[in-house]
Amino acid sequence: MARAWIGGKPVALERALAEAAELLAASRCPLIAGLGTDVAGARAAIGLAERIGAVVDHMSADVLLRDLAVLREAGMMLTTPSEARLRADTLLLVGPSLATDAPELARWLGLDGSRRHAAAGQRAIVRLCPGRTAPPIAGETRVGRDPDQLPILLAALRARIAGRPAGKTGVAIKAVADLATLLKASRFGVAVWSARDLDPLAIEMLCGIVADLNAHTRFTGFPIAAGDNAVGVLQACGWMTGFPMRTGFGRGYPEHDPWRYDGARMVAGREADCVLWISAFRTASPPWRDGPPVIALTRGEVALDGAPSVQIEVGRPGVDHDSVEHLAQLGTLVAVAATQRSETMSVAEAVAGIVRALPGAGPGEVAAGSPTRTRAKFSTEAAR
Amino acid sequence: MTIRIAGGRVIDPAHGRDGIGDVWIGDGRIIDAPPSGTADATYDAAGKIVMAGAIDVHSHVAGWNVNTARLLLPEFHRAAAPRPAATPLSNAGWSTFATGCLYAQMGYTTVVEPAVLPHYALHAHLELADIPIIDKATLAVLGNDDFLLGLMHGREGAAAIRDYVAWTLDATHSLGIKVVNAGGSIALKDNVRQFSFDDVVPQYGVTSREIVKALQRAAHEAGVPHPLHVHCNNLGMAGNVDSALATIAAAGGLPLHLAHLQFYGYGKEGPRGFSSAAVRLAEAVNGAKDVTIDVGQVMFGQTVTISLDTLRQFNARHQARPRKWVMLEGEANGAGIVPYEYRASDFYNAVQWAVGLELFLLIDDPWRVFFTTDHPNGAPFTTYPEIFALLMDRDRRAQQIATLPPDAMAVTTLPAITREYSLAEIATMTRAAPARLLGLADRGQLGPGAVADVAVYADERDRAKMFRAAALVFKDGELVVRDGAVTHYRWGRALGVRPGRDRAIDQRMTRYYEERFGLSDAFLKVPEHAIGRPQPFELVACAR
Repeated sequence: MARAWIGGKPVALERALAEAAELLAASRCPLIAGLGTDVAGARAAIGLAERIGAVVDHMSADVLLRDLAVLREAGMMLTTPSEARLRADTLLLVGPSLATDAPELARWLGLDGSRRHAAAGQRAIVRLCPGRTAPPIAGETRVGRDPDQLPILLAALRARIAGRPAGKTGVAIKAVADLATLLKASRFGVAVWSARDLDPLAIEMLCGIVADLNAHTRFTGFPIAAGDNAVGVLQACGWMTGFPMRTGFGRGYPEHDPWRYDGARMVAGREADCVLWISAFRTASPPWRDGPPVIALTRGEVALDGAPSVQIEVGRPGVDHDSVEHLAQLGTLVAVAATQRSETMSVAEAVAGIVRALPGAGPGEVAAGSPTRTRAKFSTEAAR
Repeated sequence: MTIRIAGGRVIDPAHGRDGIGDVWIGDGRIIDAPPSGTADATYDAAGKIVMAGAIDVHSHVAGWNVNTARLLLPEFHRAAAPRPAATPLSNAGWSTFATGCLYAQMGYTTVVEPAVLPHYALHAHLELADIPIIDKATLAVLGNDDFLLGLMHGREGAAAIRDYVAWTLDATHSLGIKVVNAGGSIALKDNVRQFSFDDVVPQYGVTSREIVKALQRAAHEAGVPHPLHVHCNNLGMAGNVDSALATIAAAGGLPLHLAHLQFYGYGKEGPRGFSSAAVRLAEAVNGAKDVTIDVGQVMFGQTVTISLDTLRQFNARHQARPRKWVMLEGEANGAGIVPYEYRASDFYNAVQWAVGLELFLLIDDPWRVFFTTDHPNGAPFTTYPEIFALLMDRDRRAQQIATLPPDAMAVTTLPAITREYSLAEIATMTRAAPARLLGLADRGQLGPGAVADVAVYADERDRAKMFRAAALVFKDGELVVRDGAVTHYRWGRALGVRPGRDRAIDQRMTRYYEERFGLSDAFLKVPEHAIGRPQPFELVACAR
C-alpha cells in the first residue's frame, strides 16, 4: 500500500500525486535533485524533466563531476575493481576516504586474503597519504600521511617517474624516488582514488602518472564510484541527453552546465522554485535548510530536514522491486532481483503517476503545445 | 489496415524485381494485392523508388563505449551550445533518441551494434531500448575472455566452446558472435604491444588464429545464422593487408565475415611507406566465396573512434584529435575511445578514403560487400547518402579526387576505376544481402510475409539528397517518416538467437562466476523485464 503525506499529514496517493503535479506544473524553474534511484527511475525523471523544462542533478554530482572533469579535459585510463584484484601486481591506494566510500573495497581487491588470480604473483600495496587513523593492511607501505600533502606529492612523484628532479614535499625525497622506481617496475599496476580526497587538478596529476607509466609498462586505475547509483544515473543521462547530470531543459533542449545547474546553488540563489527530491536507496535530506516547496520521493515515513510539501513513499531498488543499477565491483550496469519484494511503488512508477496527473495530459497523451510536441526527436515521453 | 504504395519503381533484389508496381501492406507485413483491390490508405509513389528498409550490419550506436565517448566529448554535442549546423558531429545525433530518428529518416529500419562485451550487455540493451522507431541487434564479443581462452588452453574441444557460445548468446540476447583482435587485448595486459595472427597469447598458450578458428566453427556448428564477425589484428597499420589476407585464407570453407576491411587495406609502398593494397585484398575476397566483408569507409571530418581493440587504441592514443582519450581494461577486451579528425589534406587519411571506395568498386559481388563506415570510426552514419552518391557517380568521385593530395591518390587505383553502382546494387548491398548475412529471412525484401519495413525515395539526380531524406518510411507497416522528417514515434525490438546447448554449461558458468568474481552469473544476464518496455526482444531462428 502506497503511503503519502501532504504537509506531514497522511493522504491518499492520488491526492499526493495530483498535488505534486500541480506544484511542478506551476513552477517556472523546477529542479529534480537527489536522484538516488535505479536506472528506470532516472529514465522516468529525465523524461519528466524534459516534459516540464526542469533541471536534473544528483546528490553525488559534486564528487562524480571531479572525475568527469578530468575525463573530458584530459582523458583517463580505467579498469574495474575485479580486474584489479585478478591482475594487479601493484596497488597504489590514494587518500584516506577509500574504505569509507567503498566499504567493500577490501573484498573487491582481495585485501582480506580472498582468492586472487594465480598469475598475479606477489603484490605490492602502497598507500599514499592514508591519514593518521587508517588501520593497516597486511604488507602495505605508506608514503605520506595527511591528505593535504597529496597534490604536491603527486606532482613530485610524476616528476621523479619522468626522471626530473622534484622539490620538497614534506615526504623524504628517497621515499618518493623509491616509489617511482617501484611503480615503473610494476607489470600491471592499479591506482585507486576517491574524488572526495582530490580536486580535479590532483586527479589529473594522478591520471597523468598512470598514463606516463604506460610508456614502458602497464598501469591503470579506477575512482571509487559515488553512492546512490550516481554512475547508473550518469549513464542513463548520458545516453538520453548526451550529457551528465546538471543538465537543464528550460529551453526545450538539453543544456549542460556544472555550475549553472548545480541544484544547491540554484536553491541558494532562489532560482529553483520547486524541487522534486528523490532518495530511494536511503532517506537522504536535501543539503539545504530553507528553500522552495519540496516533493520528496523517499523510503518510508522518515522525517526530512524541513517538512516536504508532498512526500510519497517509494521502495528501495533491488529490495522492494527489481532494479538495474551500477555494480561498482564489475564497473557495469546489472539487473538486481528484489530481495524482499513488496507492493511499495518504485520511483519510476511514482514519476509516471505524477506525469499522468500533469494538467493537459491524459494517459498516453502529449500535451498540446508542450516542448515535446515539437521536439519529438528527443523525448521519451513523446514516444507512444 | 491495408496500405497500398502505388506505382513506384520497386527494387527488390531478393526476388529479382525491378519495375513499376505496387507494394501492399497488411497488419505489419507485406501482402499480395487483395482481391478487392482496395486499400484503407494509398500512398502515391509514382516517380519514386521503393525498397525494403535498409539494414546496417555494423554501427556502434549503444553501450558503455559509445556513452563514454559522449561524456568525453560534450563539445561535439549538438546542444552543447547553439551552433551552426555544419560544426563537427552536429548532425551525428548523440542521444539514443536522435540515433533512431536519423536512421529512420534515411530509410534504415534495422541496425546492428557489433561490439558488446557480455559484462556490458544489459547496458547496451538499455540504450538500444531508447533508440526509437527501428529494430536493433547486438553481437557479443568473445575471444579475449578468460573463460574461452581457458577452455582452449585446457584443450576441452569444440563441443565445450559451442556450448559456451550458445550460453553467451542467450545470456546477452545477441544475434551473433564477434571477435576483436583475437587475443590482442588480453596480451596487451601483459604489455604486448604488437600482436599478429600467429602470435601466442601469454599465459594461455593459444594463437589468434586458433581463437578465430574455434569461434568460427562454434558459431557455425551452433547454427547461428550470422557467421563469426571478425575484427582482424593490426588494424590501421601500414602493411597490415597481410593480416587480412591471412584471415581470409584461414576461412577454410566455412563462412566468415570481416568487418571494416578498409582499415586493413594498407601496403608499405610509395615514398611514405603507406599505400593502398585494396587490389590484392579485393582479389582475395573475390576468390573466397565463403567470405563476406563490410567496408568501414572513411569520410573527412571530425569523429571519434570507439573500439574494443584496446591494443590498437592504446597504440593510437597519441594521435587523438582533440588530445584526450579513454582506455578501459576490464574483463576481456575492455575498450578504447580516441577522438580523431580525418583531414582531406592529410596524405594518410586521403589514402584511407580511397581504399574504402576501391574495395567497394573492386569487389564484384554486391551480395558479399556491405555498406558501413564502422560508425563512428570511419565517419558518422549520417554520411551514408554521400557515399552512395560517390559509388553511383564516377564524375562525383573525380571531383573529390581532384581536391585531394595527388601523392596520396598516386598510391591507389581509385582514379582509374570507372565502375558505377546501380540502384539495384545499392539495394542488394543495403537490404537483401544484409538480411541474408544476418539470417533475417523476413527482412531486406518485399515478398509477401516480409516485415513491412519499406523506404520510398524521390528519384533525384542527386543521389545523396535522395538517400538523406526518404519520402516515406514504414516500420512494421506504420508510417514513421514523411518527407525526411519523423512523423510517428514507436519502439522497435532487439533481435537475438538462442541456439540449443548442453545445459551442463549453465551450472559451470554459475560456478565460474562464483569462483572468479565472487558473484552470481545472474548479474551478467539480460532479463527481458529489466529493459523497461513491452516486448523488447524478438527471437530469430537458428539453422539447427
